[in-house]
Amino acid sequence: MDSHPIDNLILLGDCYKSSHYKAYPPGTTNLYAYFESRGGKFPYTVFFGLQYILKKWLCGPVLTKAMVEEAKEVINEVFNRDDVFNEEGWNHILEHHGGRLPLRIKAVPEGTVLPTKNVLFTVESTDPAVPWVTNFFETVLVQAWYPMTVATNSHIYKQIIQHYSNLTSDDHDMVEWMMLDAGYRGASSVETAAIGGAAHLINFKSSDTMAGNPLLRKYYHLKGVAGFSTPSSDHSTVTAWGRDNETNAHRHMSDSYDNGVVACVCDSYDVFKCLEETWCGELKESVLERGRRGGRVYLRPDSGDPKEIVLKSLEILGKGYGTEVNSKGYKTLPTFVRIFQADRITHNTLWEVLENIKTHGWSSGNVFFGAGAALLQQVNRDTQKCAYKVSSAEVNGKCVEVYKQPITDTGKTSKKGRLTLQHDNGNITTIQSGQGDPSKDLLVTVFENGVLLKDYTFQEVQDRASLSPSHFNIEEYLHNGDME
Amino acid sequence: MEGGILQNVILLVDSYKNSHHRQYPTGTSYIYSYFESRGGKFPYTVFFGLQYILKRWLQGPVVTKEMIQEAKELHAQHFGRNDVFNEEGWNYIVERHGGKLPLKVCAVPEGTIVPTKNVLFTVVNTDPMVPWLTSFFETLLVQVWYPMTVATNSRIQKQILHHYLSKTNDDLDPLPRSLHDYGYRGVSSVESAAIGGAAHLVNFEGTDTLAALVFLRKYYHCNMAGYSIPASEHSTVTIWGRDRETDAHRNMLEAFPDGIIASVSDSYNIWDTCEKIWGEELRELVLKRGKNGGAVYIRPDSGDPPTVVVKCLNILGDAYGTTVNSKGYKMLPPYLRVVQGDGISYKTIGKILENMKTNGWSAANVGFGSGGSLLQKVNRDTQKCAYKCSHAIIDGKGVDVYKQPITDPGKDSKKGRLALHLINGTYTTVQQEGNDPKLDMLVPVFKDGELLKDYTLQEIRERAKLCSSDINVMQFLKEDSANQDE
Repeated sequence: MDSHPIDNLILLGDCYKSSHYKAYPPGTTNLYAYFESRGGKFPYTVFFGLQYILKKWLCGPVLTKAMVEEAKEVINEVFNRDDVFNEEGWNHILEHHGGRLPLRIKAVPEGTVLPTKNVLFTVESTDPAVPWVTNFFETVLVQAWYPMTVATNSHIYKQIIQHYSNLTSDDHDMVEWMMLDAGYRGASSVETAAIGGAAHLINFKSSDTMAGNPLLRKYYHLKGVAGFSTPSSDHSTVTAWGRDNETNAHRHMSDSYDNGVVACVCDSYDVFKCLEETWCGELKESVLERGRRGGRVYLRPDSGDPKEIVLKSLEILGKGYGTEVNSKGYKTLPTFVRIFQADRITHNTLWEVLENIKTHGWSSGNVFFGAGAALLQQVNRDTQKCAYKVSSAEVNGKCVEVYKQPITDTGKTSKKGRLTLQHDNGNITTIQSGQGDPSKDLLVTVFENGVLLKDYTFQEVQDRASLSPSHFNIEEYLHNGDME
Repeated sequence: MEGGILQNVILLVDSYKNSHHRQYPTGTSYIYSYFESRGGKFPYTVFFGLQYILKRWLQGPVVTKEMIQEAKELHAQHFGRNDVFNEEGWNYIVERHGGKLPLKVCAVPEGTIVPTKNVLFTVVNTDPMVPWLTSFFETLLVQVWYPMTVATNSRIQKQILHHYLSKTNDDLDPLPRSLHDYGYRGVSSVESAAIGGAAHLVNFEGTDTLAALVFLRKYYHCNMAGYSIPASEHSTVTIWGRDRETDAHRNMLEAFPDGIIASVSDSYNIWDTCEKIWGEELRELVLKRGKNGGAVYIRPDSGDPPTVVVKCLNILGDAYGTTVNSKGYKMLPPYLRVVQGDGISYKTIGKILENMKTNGWSAANVGFGSGGSLLQKVNRDTQKCAYKCSHAIIDGKGVDVYKQPITDPGKDSKKGRLALHLINGTYTTVQQEGNDPKLDMLVPVFKDGELLKDYTLQEIRERAKLCSSDINVMQFLKEDSANQDE
């Protein structure tokens, strides 16, 4: 049924990269490049997603003669000249390496949480005849910015929810259920939804982006599923009943799934009326009955200013169902009814909502959240300033440091020489210019000459990512952070 | 190299939609939905990309018994219950329809420019036994927001470039290659690169996103939709060492002695590189290239773009001399240009061009490139794209369906079965009922598994080309800027 639009390795690089083998100095026999986050919105990153790229595109005998022929034709046409395509170079890889890529890639273990401005992975050519391979694959390797940035973005949502849970809730086991990925339709493609969806599942268990699961099963040894969902209504299933029949829409939904957990969207016409008259009125008995059987109903507003809407909704439900005060002094609704706010939830609005309800005496445990585009699409390579740069090379037998240092932007200065990632007095730091101690290097060889040398499981990734970043204070971040 | 991650059409959907088959009113036989841009940043959209979704995911027999089995098992775990997954409904589609989807999709022809708040496509089930199918594919069909929004953002920039070229250049010849796609690495996946890159090529011809060219061959009948030039990058310049930057650029000129090349020039000091390296040390080689009909594009890549571009032009103008064109603006010799590929978006491109104009430089002196801003810094809310149910048949009766949340009138949806009319150059969305079907611009593109329309990129480009009835883009930029300041 599905074949990816791109099925030719050589077409994974920006066009101009086909011209670079001629641009390096004659006598170049080795190129060594690294990838980092140069800073950005979040002060740390959760490293994830390189394994998907390696397995999907680069492992094994990935280059074939047919690809070389097809690429030659395409590249010659794109450039309208035939002195760009490196037919000799690609044939060398076919003949000498059986189509396997002569590269060595070292990377920090997936799931590692570390401060920005550190090397995350390095890429080095292993065959002196074709050193240009290192930078040819920059394009596809740099796309690691995406799963990494979503994983970090999602991780920060968790820090915020955890913070308020610590302050106002008795129930911390629920934190990993409190942010649903609703971003499938808002992602730019199915592949993006799968990658981003997988990244979110590192931190949370709630997801409607089904695509994340097949990716994790195929590339990260996930058994079963990593994300979970519940029967829920959407506007079409409610509004199809007609405006005057909204209560029946909710009743029918409730009866169709009369056990367990359901979520109901409440703002089709008038969210407050819906909560008061339907959920605290006509359907109250069915909610209580569901509760008696151990189930729960999530009531979902979906428009308006989240801060105001959530608070007002809690107040209505509090009146309707009563509240108890928990050990931290905050009000909680009965366990079988909750608010589910999945509209316009960014880090900033999440913070606003939780701070606001705290101020009004409500526990954060009363509200579950969801995010779509804010989680999976409103990120870009500049969010964490991700970049890949050559830092070392061998030219005419000599090892040279390579770097840029534009006077027009010191933020774009790159690291020099061969790099190691090491612990240093409790901090993780990058040592440049080959001055590091290889025996202490946290970077692990994950790929060499077409062979995958490390095969992380999703469980390991989650375990590593569950550690809190050191020196990170969520309150400070929220107050000082570069909020959108 | 293997196929896509998703090999099962039933997984192309938000999980909760699996629960909807039991939520519609009993007696529902048809659900009719539509897709629109509810407004957003740009006042119009370029419709593009639906054909890819139809061809890749929905055309032909797409559901199999194996998929149903796999989806059933996954969803049982995913929901922690067995009463959600609609095994019966999917089996019906396999048994009754051979795995083809009984849906009808009508859409405005790809490439059409439509003001926002108009219907762009509609979807309805064709078999009354499976009304839930219409909304099931919302997730996938809504992803058309992406190619549509990229194409629109790209076209707005084309309008801006057109404005400045008209004012400051003899002709519009540079326009098709004036904005180059650099976004391959900055986009979230290879698939998105292909889709977004293709959307840009609706308006322009310059791209480094190879995936887009393959995509357009495969899904839009275009053998070669874009072009590129040999160009250096920082690694190929800085490897020579700081003291040998001249050699790095010389090597580039000699490796590709003919035609056009570009060389990134800000590795250390863009001003010195322009003045001393390009202006003096390599001057002979550049002149020689010029005599052979070739050209060099000099690329700054950091600093404040409007300032950097004009300063580079001034330095190069001093070194090589300028001529004045018929509109009274300075031109560098034809073998020398600047290409600015850093910090380019619809907001900044106008500022750079305006600064150039103020300083007497023709817009034709500079080519632009854009990466993240072109392919990644857009989202579904950029054009507020949404898919909503507007009509249903329940117990044999047609009912209009809509939402109207008091908490956000911007989220009101349209009612009824919709048509798109174009009368005296104005688009309006109307109800089908009471209107002449021949006036409807929406065309059936998919029915019961068959693709009914197969657009080529050529016709799409024809529809999307700039025309005199376009919005005034400078007015748009002014209002957009005022909105930001509020």
